[in-house]
Amino acid sequence: MKNNERKKISSPLGVAGAVFGLIIGLAMELISAAGPFVESKAAWAHGTGYRQSDKKPISLEFSYSTGEAMSYREAKVFSPRDEKFAFQSGRTDEDGRFAFTPNAAGQWRVVVKDEEGHLAEAKIQVAREFLDDSEKAAEKVAAGSATANTTIIEKTAIPGGMDLVLRSVLGVSLLFNIAAFTSLARRRKGGGS
Amino acid sequence: MHISEGFLSPQVLAAGWVAAGVGTAIGLKKLDPDKIVRVAVFSSVFFLASLINVPIGPSSTHLSLLAPMGLVLGWSVFPAVLVALLLQTVLLQFGGLLVLGVNTVNMALPGLIVYLLFSSRVRRGNAASSFAAGFLAIMLGALGVGTALSLSDPEMAGAAKVVFAAHLPLALVEGAVTFFMAGFLKKAAPDILN
Repeated sequence: MKNNERKKISSPLGVAGAVFGLIIGLAMELISAAGPFVESKAAWAHGTGYRQSDKKPISLEFSYSTGEAMSYREAKVFSPRDEKFAFQSGRTDEDGRFAFTPNAAGQWRVVVKDEEGHLAEAKIQVAREFLDDSEKAAEKVAAGSATANTTIIEKTAIPGGMDLVLRSVLGVSLLFNIAAFTSLARRRKGGGS
Repeated sequence: MHISEGFLSPQVLAAGWVAAGVGTAIGLKKLDPDKIVRVAVFSSVFFLASLINVPIGPSSTHLSLLAPMGLVLGWSVFPAVLVALLLQTVLLQFGGLLVLGVNTVNMALPGLIVYLLFSSRVRRGNAASSFAAGFLAIMLGALGVGTALSLSDPEMAGAAKVVFAAHLPLALVEGAVTFFMAGFLKKAAPDILN
Protein backbone atom coordinates (compact mmCIF):
# COMPACT_ATOMS: atom_id res chain seq x y z
CA MET A 1 0.00 0.00 0.00
CA LYS A 2 2.78 2.34 0.92
CA ASN A 3 4.42 1.70 -2.40
CA ASN A 4 1.14 2.19 -4.20
CA GLU A 5 0.44 5.41 -2.38
CA ARG A 6 3.89 6.62 -3.22
CA LYS A 7 3.34 5.81 -6.84
CA LYS A 8 -0.03 7.54 -6.78
CA ILE A 9 1.54 10.59 -5.26
CA SER A 10 4.65 10.54 -7.38
CA SER A 11 2.88 10.16 -10.69
CA PRO A 12 0.88 13.45 -10.51
CA LEU A 13 4.04 15.10 -9.28
CA GLY A 14 5.90 13.68 -12.22
CA VAL A 15 3.30 14.98 -14.66
CA ALA A 16 3.35 18.39 -13.06
CA GLY A 17 7.15 18.34 -13.16
CA ALA A 18 7.16 17.40 -16.81
CA VAL A 19 4.65 20.14 -17.66
CA PHE A 20 6.60 22.66 -15.58
CA GLY A 21 9.80 21.62 -17.30
CA LEU A 22 8.18 21.95 -20.68
CA ILE A 23 6.90 25.45 -19.88
CA ILE A 24 10.31 26.55 -18.56
CA GLY A 25 11.98 25.03 -21.60
CA LEU A 26 9.66 26.79 -24.00
CA ALA A 27 10.04 30.05 -22.13
CA MET A 28 13.82 29.68 -22.22
CA GLU A 29 13.69 29.03 -25.90
CA LEU A 30 11.46 32.03 -26.49
CA ILE A 31 13.72 34.28 -24.42
CA SER A 32 16.84 33.05 -26.15
CA ALA A 33 15.16 33.53 -29.49
CA ALA A 34 13.79 36.96 -28.62
CA GLY A 35 16.99 38.15 -26.97
CA PRO A 36 19.19 38.39 -30.02
CA PHE A 37 16.16 39.32 -32.06
CA VAL A 38 15.71 42.42 -29.97
CA GLU A 39 19.42 43.19 -30.01
CA SER A 40 19.92 42.83 -33.71
CA LYS A 41 16.91 42.74 -35.93
CA ALA A 42 19.10 42.76 -39.01
CA ALA A 43 20.81 39.50 -38.08
CA TRP A 44 17.46 37.70 -37.97
CA ALA A 45 16.01 39.27 -41.06
CA HIS A 46 16.03 37.23 -44.20
CA GLY A 47 15.12 39.95 -46.62
CA THR A 48 14.54 43.65 -47.04
CA GLY A 49 11.61 45.73 -48.15
CA TYR A 50 10.39 49.27 -48.37
CA ARG A 51 7.27 51.29 -48.62
CA GLN A 52 6.47 54.95 -48.96
CA SER A 53 6.43 56.45 -45.49
CA ASP A 54 3.26 58.28 -44.48
CA LYS A 55 5.21 60.33 -41.91
CA LYS A 56 5.82 63.93 -42.80
CA PRO A 57 9.45 65.03 -43.03
CA ILE A 58 10.90 68.44 -42.16
CA SER A 59 13.07 69.83 -44.91
CA LEU A 60 15.52 72.66 -44.29
CA GLU A 61 17.70 74.76 -46.56
CA PHE A 62 21.11 75.93 -45.38
CA SER A 63 22.98 78.83 -46.94
CA TYR A 64 25.91 81.14 -46.31
CA SER A 65 25.52 84.85 -45.67
CA THR A 66 26.66 85.34 -49.28
CA GLY A 67 23.47 83.58 -50.36
CA GLU A 68 25.39 80.55 -51.55
CA ALA A 69 23.92 77.16 -50.61
CA MET A 70 25.82 75.09 -48.06
CA SER A 71 26.00 72.15 -50.45
CA TYR A 72 27.38 68.73 -49.55
CA ARG A 73 28.10 69.78 -45.97
CA GLU A 74 28.08 67.50 -42.94
CA ALA A 75 24.66 67.54 -41.28
CA LYS A 76 23.58 66.04 -37.96
CA VAL A 77 20.11 65.82 -36.42
CA PHE A 78 19.67 65.63 -32.65
CA SER A 79 16.42 64.35 -31.20
CA PRO A 80 14.90 65.86 -28.04
CA ARG A 81 15.27 62.35 -26.52
CA ASP A 82 19.03 62.15 -27.02
CA GLU A 83 21.16 65.26 -27.15
CA LYS A 84 24.49 63.42 -27.42
CA PHE A 85 24.15 60.91 -30.20
CA ALA A 86 22.91 62.04 -33.54
CA PHE A 87 19.48 60.72 -34.53
CA GLN A 88 20.55 61.01 -38.14
CA SER A 89 23.70 62.12 -39.86
CA GLY A 90 24.59 62.73 -43.45
CA ARG A 91 25.28 65.53 -45.84
CA THR A 92 23.21 68.31 -47.33
CA ASP A 93 22.34 67.95 -50.99
CA GLU A 94 23.56 70.04 -53.90
CA ASP A 95 21.18 72.88 -53.00
CA GLY A 96 22.05 72.85 -49.29
CA ARG A 97 18.86 70.98 -48.30
CA PHE A 98 18.55 68.41 -45.58
CA ALA A 99 15.40 66.57 -44.52
CA PHE A 100 14.56 64.36 -41.58
CA THR A 101 11.46 62.71 -40.17
CA PRO A 102 10.93 63.43 -36.46
CA ASN A 103 9.54 60.64 -34.29
CA ALA A 104 9.11 62.57 -31.04
CA ALA A 105 7.66 65.88 -29.93
CA GLY A 106 10.00 68.52 -28.54
CA GLN A 107 12.92 70.56 -29.72
CA TRP A 108 14.97 69.09 -32.55
CA ARG A 109 18.34 70.44 -33.55
CA VAL A 110 19.95 70.28 -36.98
CA VAL A 111 23.62 71.26 -37.17
CA VAL A 112 25.39 71.78 -40.49
CA LYS A 113 29.16 72.31 -40.48
CA ASP A 114 31.68 72.93 -43.20
CA GLU A 115 35.43 72.41 -43.12
CA GLU A 116 36.32 76.08 -42.88
CA GLY A 117 34.82 76.84 -39.51
CA HIS A 118 31.27 77.77 -40.50
CA LEU A 119 28.36 76.30 -38.61
CA ALA A 120 24.61 76.70 -38.97
CA GLU A 121 22.22 75.46 -36.33
CA ALA A 122 18.47 75.18 -36.76
CA LYS A 123 16.17 74.57 -33.81
CA ILE A 124 12.77 73.17 -34.57
CA GLN A 125 9.93 72.80 -32.13
CA VAL A 126 7.91 69.77 -33.17
CA ALA A 127 4.36 69.76 -31.84
CA ARG A 128 2.62 66.51 -30.90
CA GLU A 129 -0.07 67.15 -33.51
CA PHE A 130 2.60 67.22 -36.16
CA LEU A 131 3.46 63.60 -35.37
CA ASP A 132 -0.06 62.31 -34.69
CA ASP A 133 -1.87 63.81 -37.59
CA SER A 134 0.87 64.08 -40.13
CA GLU A 135 -1.23 62.13 -42.58
CA LYS A 136 -4.51 63.85 -41.74
CA ALA A 137 -2.82 67.24 -41.70
CA ALA A 138 -1.43 66.63 -45.15
CA GLU A 139 -4.93 65.76 -46.40
CA LYS A 140 -6.38 68.86 -44.76
CA VAL A 141 -3.75 71.01 -46.40
CA ALA A 142 -4.43 69.39 -49.73
CA ALA A 143 -8.12 70.17 -49.20
CA GLY A 144 -7.23 73.71 -48.21
CA SER A 145 -8.80 73.54 -44.74
CA ALA A 146 -5.70 73.78 -42.56
CA THR A 147 -2.15 74.97 -42.55
CA ALA A 148 0.70 72.51 -42.40
CA ASN A 149 2.57 74.82 -40.08
CA THR A 150 2.49 72.74 -36.95
CA THR A 151 6.21 73.30 -36.46
CA ILE A 152 7.84 76.46 -35.29
CA ILE A 153 11.22 76.96 -36.81
CA GLU A 154 13.45 79.27 -34.84
CA LYS A 155 16.69 79.55 -36.74
CA THR A 156 19.45 81.96 -35.85
CA ALA A 157 18.71 83.83 -39.02
CA ILE A 158 21.17 85.99 -40.87
CA PRO A 159 19.45 89.28 -41.67
CA GLY A 160 18.83 90.19 -45.29
CA GLY A 161 17.38 92.93 -47.47
CA MET A 162 16.38 96.20 -45.84
CA ASP A 163 17.09 94.79 -42.38
CA LEU A 164 20.68 94.14 -43.43
CA VAL A 165 21.08 97.68 -44.73
CA LEU A 166 19.71 99.18 -41.51
CA ARG A 167 21.92 96.98 -39.38
CA SER A 168 24.97 97.94 -41.44
CA VAL A 169 24.21 101.63 -41.08
CA LEU A 170 23.69 101.16 -37.37
CA GLY A 171 27.03 99.36 -37.17
CA VAL A 172 28.94 102.11 -38.92
CA SER A 173 27.25 104.79 -36.86
CA LEU A 174 28.11 102.89 -33.68
CA LEU A 175 31.71 102.64 -34.83
CA PHE A 176 31.98 106.39 -35.28
CA ASN A 177 30.24 106.98 -31.95
CA ILE A 178 32.79 104.76 -30.24
CA ALA A 179 35.54 106.68 -32.04
CA ALA A 180 34.06 110.02 -30.97
CA PHE A 181 33.84 108.92 -27.34
CA THR A 182 37.36 107.52 -27.36
CA SER A 183 38.60 110.71 -28.93
CA LEU A 184 36.77 112.83 -26.35
CA ALA A 185 38.09 110.73 -23.48
CA ARG A 186 41.64 111.04 -24.81
CA ARG A 187 41.36 114.79 -25.28
CA ARG A 188 40.13 115.25 -21.71
CA LYS A 189 42.90 113.09 -20.37
CA GLY A 190 45.41 114.99 -22.51
CA GLY A 191 43.99 118.36 -21.36
CA GLY A 192 44.09 117.36 -17.69
CA SER A 193 47.68 116.28 -17.64
CA MET B 1 37.04 83.73 -42.50
CA HIS B 2 34.89 83.89 -39.39
CA ILE B 3 35.04 80.75 -37.31
CA SER B 4 31.61 79.95 -35.90
CA GLU B 5 30.81 79.02 -32.33
CA GLY B 6 31.16 75.33 -31.53
CA PHE B 7 34.32 74.43 -33.45
CA LEU B 8 37.13 75.38 -31.12
CA SER B 9 38.36 73.89 -27.85
CA PRO B 10 38.26 76.00 -24.65
CA GLN B 11 42.08 76.25 -24.66
CA VAL B 12 42.17 77.72 -28.15
CA LEU B 13 39.32 80.10 -27.31
CA ALA B 14 41.14 81.27 -24.18
CA ALA B 15 44.46 81.69 -25.98
CA GLY B 16 42.66 83.72 -28.64
CA TRP B 17 41.20 86.05 -26.02
CA VAL B 18 44.56 86.51 -24.30
CA ALA B 19 46.31 87.36 -27.59
CA ALA B 20 43.47 89.63 -28.71
CA GLY B 21 43.50 91.37 -25.31
CA VAL B 22 47.25 92.01 -25.41
CA GLY B 23 47.10 93.23 -29.02
CA THR B 24 44.16 95.53 -28.30
CA ALA B 25 45.80 96.95 -25.18
CA ILE B 26 48.99 97.78 -27.10
CA GLY B 27 46.93 99.11 -29.99
CA LEU B 28 44.96 101.44 -27.71
CA LYS B 29 48.10 102.59 -25.92
CA LYS B 30 49.80 103.46 -29.20
CA LEU B 31 46.66 105.10 -30.57
CA ASP B 32 47.24 108.69 -31.52
CA PRO B 33 44.09 110.72 -30.62
CA ASP B 34 44.33 112.51 -33.94
CA LYS B 35 44.11 109.20 -35.80
CA ILE B 36 41.03 107.84 -34.06
CA VAL B 37 38.81 108.85 -36.98
CA ARG B 38 41.14 106.97 -39.29
CA VAL B 39 40.73 103.85 -37.16
CA ALA B 40 36.95 104.27 -37.27
CA VAL B 41 36.99 104.63 -41.06
CA PHE B 42 38.99 101.46 -41.57
CA SER B 43 36.99 99.63 -38.94
CA SER B 44 33.81 100.59 -40.83
CA VAL B 45 35.29 99.53 -44.16
CA PHE B 46 36.25 96.17 -42.66
CA PHE B 47 32.78 95.86 -41.11
CA LEU B 48 31.09 96.55 -44.45
CA ALA B 49 33.53 94.73 -46.75
CA SER B 50 32.25 91.38 -45.54
CA LEU B 51 28.84 92.21 -47.02
CA ILE B 52 30.09 92.78 -50.56
CA ASN B 53 30.49 89.60 -52.54
CA VAL B 54 33.24 89.18 -55.05
CA PRO B 55 32.74 86.27 -57.43
CA ILE B 56 35.89 84.17 -57.78
CA GLY B 57 35.53 81.22 -60.13
CA PRO B 58 32.60 79.00 -59.19
CA SER B 59 32.43 80.38 -55.67
CA SER B 60 32.24 83.83 -54.19
CA THR B 61 33.92 85.47 -51.25
CA HIS B 62 34.30 88.92 -49.82
CA LEU B 63 37.23 91.28 -49.51
CA SER B 64 38.72 91.78 -46.08
CA LEU B 65 41.25 94.54 -46.87
CA LEU B 66 43.47 93.23 -44.09
CA ALA B 67 46.69 94.60 -45.60
CA PRO B 68 45.55 98.18 -46.35
CA MET B 69 44.07 98.34 -42.86
CA GLY B 70 47.26 97.02 -41.28
CA LEU B 71 49.53 99.30 -43.31
CA VAL B 72 47.58 102.42 -42.36
CA LEU B 73 46.71 101.60 -38.75
CA GLY B 74 49.73 99.67 -37.50
CA TRP B 75 49.11 98.37 -33.98
CA SER B 76 45.68 100.07 -33.91
CA VAL B 77 44.49 97.35 -36.27
CA PHE B 78 43.70 95.26 -33.17
CA PRO B 79 41.05 97.56 -31.62
CA ALA B 80 39.70 98.32 -35.12
CA VAL B 81 39.18 94.62 -35.91
CA LEU B 82 37.89 93.76 -32.44
CA VAL B 83 35.16 96.41 -32.56
CA ALA B 84 34.21 95.63 -36.17
CA LEU B 85 33.95 91.90 -35.45
CA LEU B 86 31.98 92.54 -32.26
CA LEU B 87 29.46 94.59 -34.24
CA GLN B 88 29.31 91.92 -36.96
CA THR B 89 28.59 89.30 -34.32
CA VAL B 90 25.91 91.32 -32.57
CA LEU B 91 24.23 92.90 -35.60
CA LEU B 92 24.82 90.41 -38.41
CA GLN B 93 25.14 87.06 -36.60
CA PHE B 94 28.57 86.35 -38.09
CA GLY B 95 30.98 84.42 -35.89
CA GLY B 96 30.18 84.45 -32.18
CA LEU B 97 31.06 86.07 -28.89
CA LEU B 98 33.19 83.22 -27.53
CA VAL B 99 35.28 82.92 -30.70
CA LEU B 100 35.62 86.71 -31.01
CA GLY B 101 39.11 86.58 -29.51
CA VAL B 102 40.40 83.99 -31.97
CA ASN B 103 38.72 85.73 -34.91
CA THR B 104 40.24 89.06 -33.89
CA VAL B 105 43.73 87.57 -33.76
CA ASN B 106 43.24 85.81 -37.11
CA MET B 107 42.31 89.08 -38.81
CA ALA B 108 44.39 91.65 -36.92
CA LEU B 109 47.69 89.80 -36.56
CA PRO B 110 48.24 89.42 -40.34
CA GLY B 111 47.59 93.17 -40.70
CA LEU B 112 50.14 93.92 -38.00
CA ILE B 113 52.72 91.52 -39.50
CA VAL B 114 52.51 93.06 -42.97
CA TYR B 115 52.73 96.50 -41.35
CA LEU B 116 55.96 95.53 -39.57
CA LEU B 117 57.40 93.83 -42.67
CA PHE B 118 56.37 96.11 -45.51
CA SER B 119 55.20 99.53 -44.29
CA SER B 120 58.48 101.38 -44.88
CA ARG B 121 58.88 99.93 -48.36
CA VAL B 122 55.24 100.59 -49.26
CA ARG B 123 55.68 104.18 -48.10
CA ARG B 124 58.60 104.54 -50.48
CA GLY B 125 56.30 103.43 -53.28
CA ASN B 126 57.52 99.89 -53.79
CA ALA B 127 54.70 98.32 -55.82
CA ALA B 128 55.88 94.73 -55.34
CA SER B 129 55.80 95.21 -51.58
CA SER B 130 52.19 96.43 -51.66
CA PHE B 131 51.14 93.38 -53.65
CA ALA B 132 53.11 91.07 -51.37
CA ALA B 133 51.53 92.68 -48.29
CA GLY B 134 48.01 92.11 -49.63
CA PHE B 135 48.78 88.54 -50.65
CA LEU B 136 50.58 87.62 -47.44
CA ALA B 137 47.92 89.09 -45.14
CA ILE B 138 45.23 86.79 -46.56
CA MET B 139 47.42 83.72 -46.49
CA LEU B 140 48.39 84.45 -42.88
CA GLY B 141 44.71 84.87 -42.01
CA ALA B 142 43.91 81.51 -43.62
CA LEU B 143 46.86 79.98 -41.77
CA GLY B 144 45.48 81.34 -38.50
CA VAL B 145 42.02 79.89 -39.17
CA GLY B 146 43.53 76.53 -40.15
CA THR B 147 45.78 76.47 -37.09
CA ALA B 148 42.92 77.28 -34.70
CA LEU B 149 40.77 74.54 -36.26
CA SER B 150 43.45 71.85 -36.26
CA LEU B 151 44.62 72.68 -32.73
CA SER B 152 41.07 72.20 -31.48
CA ASP B 153 40.44 69.01 -33.38
CA PRO B 154 43.33 67.07 -34.99
CA GLU B 155 40.81 65.57 -37.39
CA MET B 156 40.39 69.02 -38.90
CA ALA B 157 44.06 69.15 -39.97
CA GLY B 158 43.15 68.06 -43.49
CA ALA B 159 40.48 70.73 -43.61
CA ALA B 160 43.04 73.34 -42.57
CA LYS B 161 44.98 72.66 -45.76
CA VAL B 162 41.77 73.06 -47.74
CA VAL B 163 41.17 76.46 -46.10
CA PHE B 164 44.69 77.50 -47.01
CA ALA B 165 44.37 76.47 -50.65
CA ALA B 166 40.88 77.95 -50.96
CA HIS B 167 42.20 81.39 -50.03
CA LEU B 168 44.84 81.55 -52.78
CA PRO B 169 42.55 83.28 -55.31
CA LEU B 170 41.38 85.81 -52.71
CA ALA B 171 45.00 86.45 -51.73
CA LEU B 172 45.81 87.34 -55.35
CA VAL B 173 42.80 89.67 -55.52
CA GLU B 174 43.71 91.36 -52.24
CA GLY B 175 47.29 91.69 -53.45
CA ALA B 176 46.05 93.59 -56.48
CA VAL B 177 43.64 95.70 -54.42
CA THR B 178 46.40 96.59 -51.94
CA PHE B 179 48.69 97.47 -54.84
CA PHE B 180 46.14 99.93 -56.26
CA MET B 181 45.13 101.34 -52.88
CA ALA B 182 48.75 101.95 -51.86
CA GLY B 183 49.40 103.67 -55.20
CA PHE B 184 46.30 105.85 -54.77
CA LEU B 185 47.06 106.75 -51.15
CA LYS B 186 50.64 107.63 -52.03
CA LYS B 187 49.38 110.16 -54.54
CA ALA B 188 46.24 111.42 -52.77
CA ALA B 189 47.24 111.35 -49.10
CA PRO B 190 50.89 110.43 -48.64
CA ASP B 191 50.86 111.17 -44.91
CA ILE B 192 48.30 108.43 -44.29
CA LEU B 193 50.83 105.65 -44.89
CA ASN B 194 53.05 106.22 -41.93
